[in-house]
Amino acid sequence: MKHSFIALIEDKCTSCMLCVRECPAWCIHLDSHTVDVTDEGARRPKKVNVLDSFEIDYSLCMYCGVCIDVCPFDALAWDEHRALVTTNREDMLLGIEELGPSGSS
Amino acid sequence: MTRYALTSDPSVSVEVVSASLACCTLELQVALSSGALTRVPEGDVGPSVIVIAGTVTDALVPSVLELIHSYPDTKVMSFGACATSGGPYWDSPPVSKGIDQFVEVSTYVAGCPPRPDAFIQAIQELSVNGAL
Repeated sequence: MKHSFIALIEDKCTSCMLCVRECPAWCIHLDSHTVDVTDEGARRPKKVNVLDSFEIDYSLCMYCGVCIDVCPFDALAWDEHRALVTTNREDMLLGIEELGPSGSS
Repeated sequence: MTRYALTSDPSVSVEVVSASLACCTLELQVALSSGALTRVPEGDVGPSVIVIAGTVTDALVPSVLELIHSYPDTKVMSFGACATSGGPYWDSPPVSKGIDQFVEVSTYVAGCPPRPDAFIQAIQELSVNGAL
């Protein structure tokens, strides 16, 4: 697999922050909040993390794949996007929509 | 300074100046000799691009700027994470946090290092955007 792009599968992300903390370049930014979910018949509500934002700063990313290896839920994966070439440095900061796997949109 | 044309589209040709500062330059050399680019005989004039490939330390900034300014009308390509933002050395005091603090950059290529085909793609996009 080419080290060409790291894609986020949003549904699988639990906002556990492991990728953010293990990234050697500190290029991942993640924001989330917690909501109470009460399952039917449950004695008390359970806490569920909801992902608010997820950004990879590709001006810093080393494409090392540590975030992919460390993710316990396989929410990050190598993807066959083309290489990222931009005219603005700001365009290298990609959010949830831009990080979706190719073929999903 | 050597002139190269895209093998797939010989009408796109560019003079390449390489500022070889660190490991990114190895990938650049692979790109230049990969077959996707063809050498053009010297003598032609046309657009040129200076590729900043590698870590720019604060001590090196004056030399790099001197090199860039010695080629007027040359587009600057920031090749790889170090030249773009300091890359893995972003929190290191002696490393500059991106060449774009000092000169205008036409193209940023992501990667640490970028793959050789990313350079070819960057040349194609510069040409499509009319920058070449």
